[in-house]
Amino acid sequence: MTRLFLNRALAMVAVLFGLAVAVFVLQVVIPTDPARAMVGSNAPEEVVAQARADLGYDQPIPAQFAAYLGRITRGDLQHSLHTHNPVSDDLGRFAPATIELGFYAALIAGALGLGLGLLLVGGGLVGRVARVVLVGWAAVPAFLTGMLLIVVFYSWLHVLPGSGRVDDDLLLPDGPTGLLTVDALLTGQFALLGNLISHLVLPAVTLALLPAVAIARTLHASLEQVMGEDYIRTARSKGLRERTVLLRHALRNAAGPTLTMAGLLVGLMLGGVVVVEQIFSWPGLGLYVTQSIAYSDFPAITGTTLALGAAYVVINFWVDVAQAVADPRLRSA
Amino acid sequence: MSAVKQPVADITTRGGAATLWRQRAASADESRTGNLVRALWPLLGVTLVVLVAPLLAPYGSTDINPAGALQAPSGAAWFGTDELSRDVFSRVLFGLRTSWLSALAVIAVGAVIGSVIGAVAGAVGGWVDAVLMRTTDLFLAMPAPVLAIAVVAALGPSLRNTLIALAVVWWPWYARIVRGEVRRMAARPHAEAARLAGVSRARLIRKHLLPGAVAPVFVTMSLDVANLVLALASLSFIGLGAPPPAAELGAMSARATTYLLDQPWVSVAPGVAVAVLALAGTVIGDRANRRIREGAAR
Repeated sequence: MTRLFLNRALAMVAVLFGLAVAVFVLQVVIPTDPARAMVGSNAPEEVVAQARADLGYDQPIPAQFAAYLGRITRGDLQHSLHTHNPVSDDLGRFAPATIELGFYAALIAGALGLGLGLLLVGGGLVGRVARVVLVGWAAVPAFLTGMLLIVVFYSWLHVLPGSGRVDDDLLLPDGPTGLLTVDALLTGQFALLGNLISHLVLPAVTLALLPAVAIARTLHASLEQVMGEDYIRTARSKGLRERTVLLRHALRNAAGPTLTMAGLLVGLMLGGVVVVEQIFSWPGLGLYVTQSIAYSDFPAITGTTLALGAAYVVINFWVDVAQAVADPRLRSA
Repeated sequence: MSAVKQPVADITTRGGAATLWRQRAASADESRTGNLVRALWPLLGVTLVVLVAPLLAPYGSTDINPAGALQAPSGAAWFGTDELSRDVFSRVLFGLRTSWLSALAVIAVGAVIGSVIGAVAGAVGGWVDAVLMRTTDLFLAMPAPVLAIAVVAALGPSLRNTLIALAVVWWPWYARIVRGEVRRMAARPHAEAARLAGVSRARLIRKHLLPGAVAPVFVTMSLDVANLVLALASLSFIGLGAPPPAAELGAMSARATTYLLDQPWVSVAPGVAVAVLALAGTVIGDRANRRIREGAAR
């Protein structure tokens, strides 16, 4: 177990290093001059040269790489060109909104995926309808889902807000977690909590749909396989109800492959969150990165890439370890 | 596949070995190629449709529809008009062509790069295999969408750069598949026979190992079309595609979100077009997958 942990930890460090190299390569090959971008297009040549020296871009590539590695391990991600704050501060400010959205979306995706997967296995008319719905769903881009939800629930029915994280006129709790629903609950502001949840519903559902389809498909495939095994026949011949067989006997053994996907789903959601935050004006990392793209704010873009990439790699490491803890058969790997 | 029983003596001679593998390869190849063609002709069909579609557009992609700006769908403008009085229906037809052809281009490039790397790794083995596959694993371990966004943002938003970014994150899957198939093929008797017959390594890869990977690669490619249509639309939606006024479905949808509440058709129509295209890709991919698997099982 310790050996597996160390192995995976080593692999994680290698991947993190690879990520750092990839981002560095991008910085070297970009067509725009970062020093020029920082001081503005009208600055005189001496100022640009000074900025270039300050940033270390006049050094040879290996020296630049060493400086860059030192910088990012200290958490220094340079200054954003459009907010003028250190990128690490910006990330800290925008991350809680994304974490909160991602958390609720993951809950919805899990529940929806589980439900749909069980419907599929049930077969019959319901199962067939669920199959068609799933195939169709997987083809709908997240931005279309989001827009349709806004049109229906905000514009037509007026039951849910279509943008932002909270109504502007509400006072927000000042910490302690930055996750507003948690803070509202801790400080006992239930009206605020209701408002926050109503803002969360549409973006969280939009973000959850594609992962839910992936979960349902994987769960269905592994349930089909498990349902053909001997111990299921034994359970049935004991006279257990089909529902008991499915939920108590089959589901537990079919859950493995679905849990394996958890890491991949995080990747899927990282891609989705950028689109969803843009549609719903959700003030998180996705919106930060889209705005940075619009401003050609390269330090902000690379900083966010490093942060999101590192988060993804670390989450996947823990998913791996959790699986090995849960399933002893994986420990020899 | 019916195994052709040959006396061992036969495969020790060059002619015998060649005949042996040719017999097997021929019978397997015919049914496989037939299945591939039958399974993939719908892809060609959709390609023809999207190529012809812009010719049927009542207006050019940047032409003004005289009906005026932000008009509701009507006989004069089937999907309405956008804020610059352009005909949404015509722009969607142009956008479909861009989306579909771009998806095919990324898949082709990804599959070629991945296949070359996978084939070399699988056939050469040793440290070459180790280096190439660890690099592949490294790419697979990084979050593809984030990496793609960073690549396009760095190179500057344009359709070409978006295609490059997607190819960069897409090839590793193909490298894995091809390497696996090549290793599997290398263990088969026909590859052994070819090696004993003294064929060169390049010829061994090209004629005896790689053909075995064709079917799985094509299955993956056909299943990937829908994924890429969606990935391209999403990147285009967040501003990483061809700059305006290009008719790109994701970007069209994104720019019209300002008018979503009053003129929803301007942003919904391109979104629906993406969904239709992705659905076509899914159906074709699933069908090809089933066909080729049935063919392989026979």
